[in-house]
Amino acid sequence: MSKFIKAAVASSILAASVMGAGAAQAATASADATANILEQVTVTSDGSDLAFGTIVTGTAASTVAVASDGTATCGTGLVCTGTTSSAGFDVTGTTGETVDVSADATVTLTNPDGDDMTASLSPSVSTIVLDGTDGFAVGGTLNVAANQADGLYEGTFSVTVDYQ
Amino acid sequence: MTFSSISRLSKALAGSAIAASAMFMVPAPAQAAGDLLVAPTRIVLDGQRGTEIILNNIGAETATYRISLELRRMSKEGRLTAVTPEEANQIEQAAKAMIRYAPRRVTLPPNQPQAIRIGVRAPQDLPDGEYRVHMLFRAIPKAKSVTEQTNPEGGFSIALTPIYGVTIPVIVRQGNLQATAGIANGRIEEDKEGKSFAFDLSRSGDRSTYGEIRVTKPGLDEPLLVARGIAVYPEVSSRKVALPIPNEIAEQLKGPVSIEYYEPRNSGGGLIAKTQMVLR
Repeated sequence: MSKFIKAAVASSILAASVMGAGAAQAATASADATANILEQVTVTSDGSDLAFGTIVTGTAASTVAVASDGTATCGTGLVCTGTTSSAGFDVTGTTGETVDVSADATVTLTNPDGDDMTASLSPSVSTIVLDGTDGFAVGGTLNVAANQADGLYEGTFSVTVDYQ
Repeated sequence: MTFSSISRLSKALAGSAIAASAMFMVPAPAQAAGDLLVAPTRIVLDGQRGTEIILNNIGAETATYRISLELRRMSKEGRLTAVTPEEANQIEQAAKAMIRYAPRRVTLPPNQPQAIRIGVRAPQDLPDGEYRVHMLFRAIPKAKSVTEQTNPEGGFSIALTPIYGVTIPVIVRQGNLQATAGIANGRIEEDKEGKSFAFDLSRSGDRSTYGEIRVTKPGLDEPLLVARGIAVYPEVSSRKVALPIPNEIAEQLKGPVSIEYYEPRNSGGGLIAKTQMVLR
């Protein structure tokens, strides 16, 4: 008898799928079926990036601000045209779960000659209670110096979704 | 859980200057990648048993992810603020030293999950208490190709690359720890992000509290507001909780309400704290 039970338990993994189809005679053997369901989070770019558009510098320092809705405010002395956008991200997770959003406060952009520019960043939200259609945007303010030097200015900024 | 919104991340901006005193910027691609899925979203390690965290590349391109342990401290405002290695106190240093995990860097093709094994090796004489790190998952930006680095002659360009990721808490508890919590000072606040329901969540004892906030109104079957995953960590005795709410919920909340703080269902679902108050 004990041998039979052992055999039944050993084959319970196979039996599980058969039982689902209605093989009820296996019910005398008890076996644990475990499935570890994990709560997940996903963070994805929604395809839009933080873009300051086309800017013509002036002879004085100024700024270009991109709000979290993507609209730009052109500083005094600058000419701004072209498409601007904020960086957008989608977040999914378990409904009702609370997450915090944080981003670097400032990012420094440097060119190969060592010239730099800074931009300050601001996420559109600081806390999200997930409801299935969640996302946030990151806007920023670019500080443009007078007669900003030529070169490829590069910078990275980090954005994290934090679980408490 | 919609995966339809997954999109490849690319581009930032680039530009070119024309006149001597003018700069002229136009968008151009700067590479980035790193759409990701992480599960679970919170880990409590009791004793020596380890566990696994799933990291999945849900982007459209192969990406390399780095997994690191970060120290964060909860502020009175309820935010998790970064702590540099120099600022770390003994408890934080001990937490970082006892967590073992691998791999720490992984390159994944699209839709390829990877298990990150995590365990704890506590020293023999570890004092009782709660130890915590925050595990950060994020993509490493790809090196830019030569063509993208070519600068237009006499020009000016700019490329801003976002590196985005997720942090989850990893908690180790040593000894028999207790904590209680209290709720006070419920209010409706408004700032540039919109309206929020705020209150003070206090805590005493030698461990954190964690759970779900439910705000109910007499006569209504369903809670008006449910927010899961609210923690008060041992470094603070009280924190502010601010939950964003739409205007109609803000209107409905006015009057008598009951605010309840429950443990998560998978650890019993017991009531931690409950307070009744009248909101204006």
